[in-house]
Amino acid sequence: MMLPNRAAVEGIAENMQLADVKGRSLWADARTRFLRNRAAVISLIMLCAVAGFALFGGLVAQYEGDFVNFSLIGSNAYLGVPSIETGHYFGTDSNGRDLFARTVQGTGISLMVGVVGALVAVIVGTLYGATAGYYGGRIDGIMMRIVDVLMSIPFMFVLILMLVIFGRSIFMLFLGIGLISWLDMARIARGQTLTIKNKEFVEVAVATGVRPIRIILRHIVPNLLGIVIVYATLLVPNMIIFESFISFLGLGVQEPATSLGALINEGSRTMQFGYYWQIAFPLFFFVITIFAFFFVGDGLRDALDPKDR
Amino acid sequence: MLSFVFRRLAVAVPTLLILVVLSFVLMYAAPGGPFNSERPLPPEVLANIEAKYGLDQPFWKQIVNYVSGVVTGFDFGPSFQYKDRSVNDVIAQGFPVTLTYGFWSFVVAVTVGVSLGVAAAIKQNSWVDYFAVGVSIGAQVLPNFVMAPLLLLVFTLWLGWLPGGGWNGGQWQFLIMPVIALSTSYMASIARITRSSMLEVLNTNFIRTARAKGLPMRRVIWKHAMKPTMLPVLSYLGPAFVGMITGSVIIDVFFSTGGIGQFFVNSAFNRDYSVIMGITILVGTLTILFNLLVDVLYAWIDPKIRY
Amino acid sequence: MTLKKRLLATTAAVLVATAGAVFADAHATHPVTGEALASDQTFTYRVGDESPSIDPGLVEDVDGAAVVRDLFEGLYNQDAAGNLVPGVALSHAVSDDGLIYTFTLRDNAMWSNGDTVTAGDFVYAWQRAASPALASPYSWYIELMSIENGAAVIAGDMEPSTLGVTAIDDTTLEVRLSQPLPYFPQMLTHGTTFPVHQATVEEFGNDWVLPENMVSNGAYVLTEFVPQERLVRERNPMYWDNDNTIIERVVKLVVPDENVALTRYLAGELDMTDVPAGQFPRLSAQYPDQAVSVPEACSYYYMFNLRDGASPEIQDPNVRKALSLAIDRDIIVNNVLAGGQKAAYTFTHWATAGFETPDIPMATMTQADRNAMAVELLTEAGYGSDNPLSIDLVYNTNDSHRSVAIAISQMWKQTLGVDTTLANQEWQTFLEARSNGDFEVARGGWCADYNEASTFLDLMQSESGYNDSRYVNAEVDALLAEAKTSANPQANYDRVEEFIAQDTPIIPIYHYAAVDMFAENLEGWPYENFEQTWYSKDLYKIAE
Repeated sequence: MMLPNRAAVEGIAENMQLADVKGRSLWADARTRFLRNRAAVISLIMLCAVAGFALFGGLVAQYEGDFVNFSLIGSNAYLGVPSIETGHYFGTDSNGRDLFARTVQGTGISLMVGVVGALVAVIVGTLYGATAGYYGGRIDGIMMRIVDVLMSIPFMFVLILMLVIFGRSIFMLFLGIGLISWLDMARIARGQTLTIKNKEFVEVAVATGVRPIRIILRHIVPNLLGIVIVYATLLVPNMIIFESFISFLGLGVQEPATSLGALINEGSRTMQFGYYWQIAFPLFFFVITIFAFFFVGDGLRDALDPKDR
Repeated sequence: MLSFVFRRLAVAVPTLLILVVLSFVLMYAAPGGPFNSERPLPPEVLANIEAKYGLDQPFWKQIVNYVSGVVTGFDFGPSFQYKDRSVNDVIAQGFPVTLTYGFWSFVVAVTVGVSLGVAAAIKQNSWVDYFAVGVSIGAQVLPNFVMAPLLLLVFTLWLGWLPGGGWNGGQWQFLIMPVIALSTSYMASIARITRSSMLEVLNTNFIRTARAKGLPMRRVIWKHAMKPTMLPVLSYLGPAFVGMITGSVIIDVFFSTGGIGQFFVNSAFNRDYSVIMGITILVGTLTILFNLLVDVLYAWIDPKIRY
Repeated sequence: MTLKKRLLATTAAVLVATAGAVFADAHATHPVTGEALASDQTFTYRVGDESPSIDPGLVEDVDGAAVVRDLFEGLYNQDAAGNLVPGVALSHAVSDDGLIYTFTLRDNAMWSNGDTVTAGDFVYAWQRAASPALASPYSWYIELMSIENGAAVIAGDMEPSTLGVTAIDDTTLEVRLSQPLPYFPQMLTHGTTFPVHQATVEEFGNDWVLPENMVSNGAYVLTEFVPQERLVRERNPMYWDNDNTIIERVVKLVVPDENVALTRYLAGELDMTDVPAGQFPRLSAQYPDQAVSVPEACSYYYMFNLRDGASPEIQDPNVRKALSLAIDRDIIVNNVLAGGQKAAYTFTHWATAGFETPDIPMATMTQADRNAMAVELLTEAGYGSDNPLSIDLVYNTNDSHRSVAIAISQMWKQTLGVDTTLANQEWQTFLEARSNGDFEVARGGWCADYNEASTFLDLMQSESGYNDSRYVNAEVDALLAEAKTSANPQANYDRVEEFIAQDTPIIPIYHYAAVDMFAENLEGWPYENFEQTWYSKDLYKIAE
C-alpha cells in the first residue's frame, strides 16, 4: 500500500497559512501556476475524458455489459476480436460479453472506489486530526496515541479478514480502504490545526463563545482545504491500485458488475492464449487514469507550494 | 533517545494485544470454521477434533490460553489446517522465504529508486529526467499481478532463461523474478520521492552557498544534499516495507515460493485461526519494529528532531 | 541419530545410489512392453494447494491420498482398471455370515528401516485412526467400514483396543464387522487403512511425518517436504516389489495458479498439470498427444432451497422445471468448459459402474422445444414481462463456477426474462450459507465416494446430511431404502431420477471430466480408473 508521502504534502500547509494574510489571491496564483504546468493540464483533460468515457460511454455501446453472446463464449473467445462491424469495439471477454460496455462500467466503478475511498479517508482524517489538534492536551495525547497504535496494525491483513468474513460489498471496500488511509491525514491535519488555532480569528471565535464543533468546522477545516485537496488527489490512484489488488484476491465487486482491476485480472489470465484485447483495453484505461491523477496531484502540489520549484 | 525507544516499545505491547483481540473477534465472527467441509463431519468426530484443539472451551478462555501460550512459551499452537505442523513450523518455513525475497526487493527498490531519483533531479528536464520519470510512473501503474505472469511468459516460456517458480532453498535463479515483480512499484515511488526531495534540497540556500564556493557537484551531492534528501524517502520506507510483506501474497501465488503470504491467504479462507493469528502477530511486530527503526534513523539523520 | 540408525541410513543411501545406477542400465527397456526407457525417471506434477496432512491416519484430500499411496502400502492396491491387486495382503477369506475377514499378509513386506511389516502394524494404525486422541477428520471412515465397535471407539465410549481388528500372528490379520459389507475389500485401498510404524510414531509424535523421521512401507520414501512448495519422494529400496519400480523420483509442486502451472508445463518443468477451463480445444489441437480428458466421478448441479420459509417463488415445481429447461447444457459443456464434460439430465454420473442412464424426456428434446416448454410453464405459474421472476444465485469463488453462473443467468434472462442476482461467496461462507438454508439457488458439486449410483442418489434422501435442498419425498426415501438390499437396484434408481426430473429439487448441469496435460513420454497413467487412483510405481517414462 503506497500512500502519498507526508513530508511532501506538509509543505503545502505551511504555504496555505499565507492564505489568511493574502486572502484569495493565493488561490488565483495557484491556478495560474497550475495552468502553466503542461503535464498537469494535459492530465486534467485526460481525466475529464476518462470520466466522460465512464459516464457517457454506455450511450455508444452496442450491447449491455451483462449480455452474453453464447457463440463467443469460452473456447470460442478467439472469435470475439475487437471490431467495428460486430459492435464489439473492444472485443468480448472470455464469457462472451461486450468488453467495451464492461470497460465503461469498470472505469466508472474504479473511479468511484478511488474518489469515495479518498473522500472517506480525507474526511475522517481531517475531522479527527482537527479535533485532536484543537482540543490539545490530554485529549490530543490520547487521540494521537490511538493513531500510533492503529498505524502499527497491518491493515491489509485485517482488510482481507474483513472481506472474507463479512462478505464483499462496495460498502465494505470503502470502509476498509478508508480505515487504512485516514491515519496519515489525521496526523497532518492535527499538525496544521495546532498552528491555526492560535490565529486571531480562532481566538475571536472562542472569545465570543462559539461552540468548539462549530469552530472546527467553520474556521479550522476550511483552512486545511489546500492540503486536503492535494492529499486526496494523490490518494485516489492509490485507492484504485488497491482495489485492483482486492479484485485479484477474488474479493472485489460482485458479478455482473466489474472494475478495472477485475477486468485486468481476468485479462491477465487469458493473455498467454492470445486474447490480448482482454487485457489491453482495461489496462490502457487503468494506466492513463493513474498517470493522470499522479500528474494532476503533483501539479496541484507544486501550484500550492511554489518554493518547490 | 533511549527513553523514546523504550516508550515506543511499551506502546507496542498494548498495540499487539489490540491486534490479537481484533483478529480473534473477527475470526470468530466469520461464518464457517476450520473443520467445515463440503461433507459435514459427523458430530462425534467434530467433537473429538474440537476437544483436541481446545475449541470446545469458552471464547475468553481460548484467548487467555492463546495469549499465555504465546507469552510464556512462544508457542503459537498447532495449525488447524496443516495437521502435521504447528504454527511455529509454518512460520519457520515460510517466513525466511518471504524475508529473503523481501530483503532483496527492498535493496533493489531503494538503490535503483534513489539512483534514478537523484539522476533525474540533477539533470532536471533533460532526457535522463524524462526517462527516469517515465520508467518510474510506468513501473508504478503496472499492477504486479500483471507483471508476474508477463515475466513468466517472457523469461520462462519464450526465452527459457529462468525457472518458472519454486524456491529451491533460495538459489538466485529462483529469486530474480520475484524480486523484479515485488520491487518495481516501490522502486518507482522511491524514485519519485527522491527526485522531488532532491530538487527541493538543491534549491536551498546552503547548497547554493556550497556550490557558489566552487565545490564540485559530486561532492555537494554526496556530502551535503544526500542526507536531507533521504528524510522523506525514509518516512516512506515504513509503508513500503509493510507493502512488500503484503505483496508477498501475489509473489507466492505466481511464483510458488511458499512464503507466508500464501499461508496467510489460505488460512484466511480455510479459517485456520491459529496460523492467521501467528502471521498477523508476526507482521504486526515487524511493522512496529520497522517503524521504530525508521524513526531512530530519522533522528540520526536530522539533528533537529528530538524525541 | 543413534549409531545403528546412522549405519542403516548410510546403507540405505548406498543402496539407493547403486540401485539407481544398476536400474538405469538394467531397465533400459520396460520389462513388459519392451519400450525403451528414458534415462531420467523423474515424475514432476502440479497440485493447487498444500494437503492438510500426509499422515495415513489423518489424510483427507485427494492430493494427499496420492502421496500416501506412494509412501505407504495398504492391504490391497488398485490396478489401472480399478480392480484389486495384492498389496501387503496376498489374499483373504470371509466367514459365511460375511462378518469376519481373515487376511494373509506377505512375509517379505518391509519398512524403509528394515523392519518387517506385520499384522500388528495394521492393528496399531487402525486403532490410531479411530482414536479420539488423534481426532482424525477421517475417523468416520473406520465407522463406514463397519468395523466392530468402530462407532463407539470414535465417540470415546470404548477404548481403541476394543476395535474389531486383531493380529492372529505376524502374517494373519482378522477383522470383525458389525454388518456384512460386500465392498469392504474395495475400501482397503484408502489411505486411512494403511499401516504406520508404531515405534516411529511414538518416538516423534506429530513430527514423525518429517522426511528425517518418517519410516514408510510403500514404493517410495519421503526425502524432502517444504509445505506450500514441494514434496519429493524417492524409490524405496526396501519395498518388496522394488525391482518393478521404474520412476526413481516423484516431485509434487504446489503451484496455486493453474495458468502459471500451464506456462511451466509448456516450458518443460512439469510432467502433468490441469487444463484451465475452456482451454482444452485449443490445447488438444496443438498438443493432441498431451491433452487428455477422462470422465471424473462428480456431478455439477444447482440446488433449490426447499425449506419452509424459503422464498415462495421457487416452491412451485413448475417454476423450478422451467428454470431447468431453459439451461442450454450443450453450451455449458461445449463452449464454456469445453473439456469433454457431458451435459447432465440425471444426477448420477453417466459413467458410474452398473448404472444405465434412464430416459429423461428433457434429454431428448431440442433446446428450442425446451425453451418453449419453459416459457409455457413459467407463464402458467404467473410470471412474465409484467411480473418478472427474480432469483438469487450463489456460487463459491472460482473462475469456472463464475463463468457457468454468468452463462446460466443470461440463459434465464434471454429465454425467460428472469432477473438473476449473482453472489460469489468465499468457500467457508458459502458452505455455511448452504447448510443453513440461507440461499435461493446455490451451486453444488458432488463426487462419488464409491463407484455405485447410490453414492449420488442418497443425497436425495430426506434425512441425508448432504441434502442441502431439504428435498423431502417419502417415495424417494422408500425407493432408496429398497435399493440397498435389492439385487438389481437399477429400476429404483430410474424412478428416483424421474422424480428428480419431475420435482426438480436440483438442476443437474453436467458430469465432470478430468482434463489434464500429460508429458508425451509419460506412460502407465491409469486413464480407465474412474476414481483416478494412481500409483507412481506404475508410471514410467519412455525415451524420446
